[in-house]
Amino acid sequence: MTSLCFYFQVHQPMRLNRFSVFTENSPYFDEERNKGYLKKVARKCYLPTNKLLLDLINEYNGKFKIAFSLTGVFVEQCKKFAPEVIESFQELAKTGNVEFLNETYYHSLAVLFSIKEFKEQIKLHRKMILELFNQKPKIFRNTEAMYSNDIAKLIEKLGYRGIITEGHESILGWRSPNYLYYPNGCKKILALLRNYKLSDDIGFRFSARWWEEYPLTADKYSIWLSKCEGQCINIFIDYETFGEHQWEDTGIFNFLRYLPAETSKYPNLDFKTPSEIVKMYKPVGIVDVPHTISWADVQRDLSAWLENEMQKLAFEQMTKLEEHVKKNPELLHIWRLLQTSDHFYYMCTKWFADGDVHKYFNPYNSPYDAFINFMNILQDLKRKVESK
Amino acid sequence: MKILMLGWEFPPAKTGGLGTHCYELVKNLSKKGVKVILLIPKRTGNIKHNIPNVEIIEVGSVALNPYNTTRPDDKFEKGYGWNFFEEVRAFNKRCVEIAKTKKFDVVHCHDWMTIDAGIEIKKITGKPLVFTVHSTEYDRTANIYPMNFIVDVEKKGIQKADLIITVSKGMKKQLIEMYNAEEEKIIVIYNGIDPSKYFGLIKKGSKGIILFLGRLTNQKGPYFFLHTAKKVLEKRKDVMFIVAGQGEQLPELIRIAIGLGIMDNVVFTGFLPEEELLQAYAMADVYVMPSVAEPFGITALEAIASGTPVIVSKNAGVAEKILHCFKVDFWDTHEMANKIICLLKYPILGECMRKNSYREIRNFGWDRVAEQTISVYRRTI
Repeated sequence: MTSLCFYFQVHQPMRLNRFSVFTENSPYFDEERNKGYLKKVARKCYLPTNKLLLDLINEYNGKFKIAFSLTGVFVEQCKKFAPEVIESFQELAKTGNVEFLNETYYHSLAVLFSIKEFKEQIKLHRKMILELFNQKPKIFRNTEAMYSNDIAKLIEKLGYRGIITEGHESILGWRSPNYLYYPNGCKKILALLRNYKLSDDIGFRFSARWWEEYPLTADKYSIWLSKCEGQCINIFIDYETFGEHQWEDTGIFNFLRYLPAETSKYPNLDFKTPSEIVKMYKPVGIVDVPHTISWADVQRDLSAWLENEMQKLAFEQMTKLEEHVKKNPELLHIWRLLQTSDHFYYMCTKWFADGDVHKYFNPYNSPYDAFINFMNILQDLKRKVESK
Repeated sequence: MKILMLGWEFPPAKTGGLGTHCYELVKNLSKKGVKVILLIPKRTGNIKHNIPNVEIIEVGSVALNPYNTTRPDDKFEKGYGWNFFEEVRAFNKRCVEIAKTKKFDVVHCHDWMTIDAGIEIKKITGKPLVFTVHSTEYDRTANIYPMNFIVDVEKKGIQKADLIITVSKGMKKQLIEMYNAEEEKIIVIYNGIDPSKYFGLIKKGSKGIILFLGRLTNQKGPYFFLHTAKKVLEKRKDVMFIVAGQGEQLPELIRIAIGLGIMDNVVFTGFLPEEELLQAYAMADVYVMPSVAEPFGITALEAIASGTPVIVSKNAGVAEKILHCFKVDFWDTHEMANKIICLLKYPILGECMRKNSYREIRNFGWDRVAEQTISVYRRTI
């Protein structure tokens, strides 16, 4: 038996207001823009896809299973601008076929600068999942699947059974991502590795006309899945793939609608959630990841967020405030919202020239504009912190 | 291939992008084996050059330029000398006479001052006409009292030319919208830069110098530069603003600077000779080009070639091509000041920008311009 493990990442950053060196007493976050984006994506993606998944779960008598990771920043915005989205996730949770994973509440890079802060954000997120869905997460996924031996050890200590990351050749060599592995130095926690080829077939290539496999249909994809060897095939993609990255007219919803029916034609395939998988299968080896990897870009490293000097300076200045903001709950929340990885992603100059992937909902004209806007806000926050 | 080219300026006597363009184009065409006869108005009468395949003829006694600043103070003719149109007419007439005695495959005109002759030469010889539009009357006047007579000359040229070259997509759009030009006839060829002439990415400490460089006319937006300076100086005093260039608005700009109370931090340099110009570019911490209208804006490339981060007007042609710079609305002095202050405050910002933009211009040379121009000639023959 090979289990299909679908996990969808759901996140929307809180985009910043335009803030110049002259700005005073102005809110940091662009309420109107964030509301507009969220409502649009709710209409195009979250609501219709949740409805479809709910129908599929009911139709296949519990055989169809999926997992989500919802960031705290996303949930906060939903509560404010589109509470019906939260309700639809709660409906899904009630079926018992949907697992919610744990991550940092703020979709942050906290692990890179403060273990203490990292743990606090995990705890906040854990509390949120418990409150919203009455689940105690057993699987952890770090922001952008950032992962290393040390991160895995840390997460193991917190009691998790599984951790998610990228199944890239740089860590696997000749081995397949379709098996469970022990992180190097761990005994209790298992690594679930993304099958990036099969994931990107849906996430990136689904509507690509240059692709020789275009158009991708549920029956074709199911044949590929049925031919895979291994314990589990981990399809981890951004939830916005459905209806937003891939628009409805690409046929993405029909693809999803017929996927359970098509895969059910192959008796060697079933659906499992990540925590079922780590319970059911035994690891076949060890993955050794001494340096932090991620699932982003071709390099699968941290260069999308922390490569150029602007990103490094902004990050460093932000982290310096840690001790000072912790005394003030209101400022602490704002400071944490500034940790969301997207703010650093917007400052990336790496792909600026050919741009497209990084362009998605990027509110800035250039990485330089992203940098000065962030720095102006950080300066203002610093001033507030110091005056308290 | 032999080209009869009608230009208006040629170094050292030049006041703008047109002169640089003609010089570099002719030089690089010659490298690619294209023969050129270049006709330009006589100014100094002693243009020296050692470009093979190129014959430069200084025509007649014209000693004026289209942006003449030392004209009689006649409001109606705004910016042009009394005899200017007479001189243009005489130049065009002489060019036609010279053309009759020469052999060539294509006649290539630059801007309205030369196009009348081009049209006539095409009529007489039957040779194809290529017309490069570097700027229109609307651009040069920032759309404040454009002269209908000149617009009509431009319109006629655009209609009669076999192919038209513009220096940006923005200019192409303008020709289609305001001059009824046929879209298929227009080819965009961005201006180029020869980085070897400039200081490049040499390391330099911050001196707090902000540079404006251009003709002091409405078109180039020096007024907005001064108001930006005022805003920057409200936040910090250790900044100098250099206004380099000459033009009709100099006295008024000085009055404005005095009125704003910023004269201690503003320097008007007047015309800068080549050597000082290169120094100014390299010395500046930021180059600002707040042009109201800017078909291309070679000076932005020159600043980048000098290792200086640039802030350019959004509507400048150069903004279509260069990614690694700040782009602003020319009237948004608040935003320009914000960006200048941040560039001064975070040196690594300027570092990132100047390194990345320098990389962008490395493959943006004049040989590309020549190559693209040759393919335009080929299409007409």
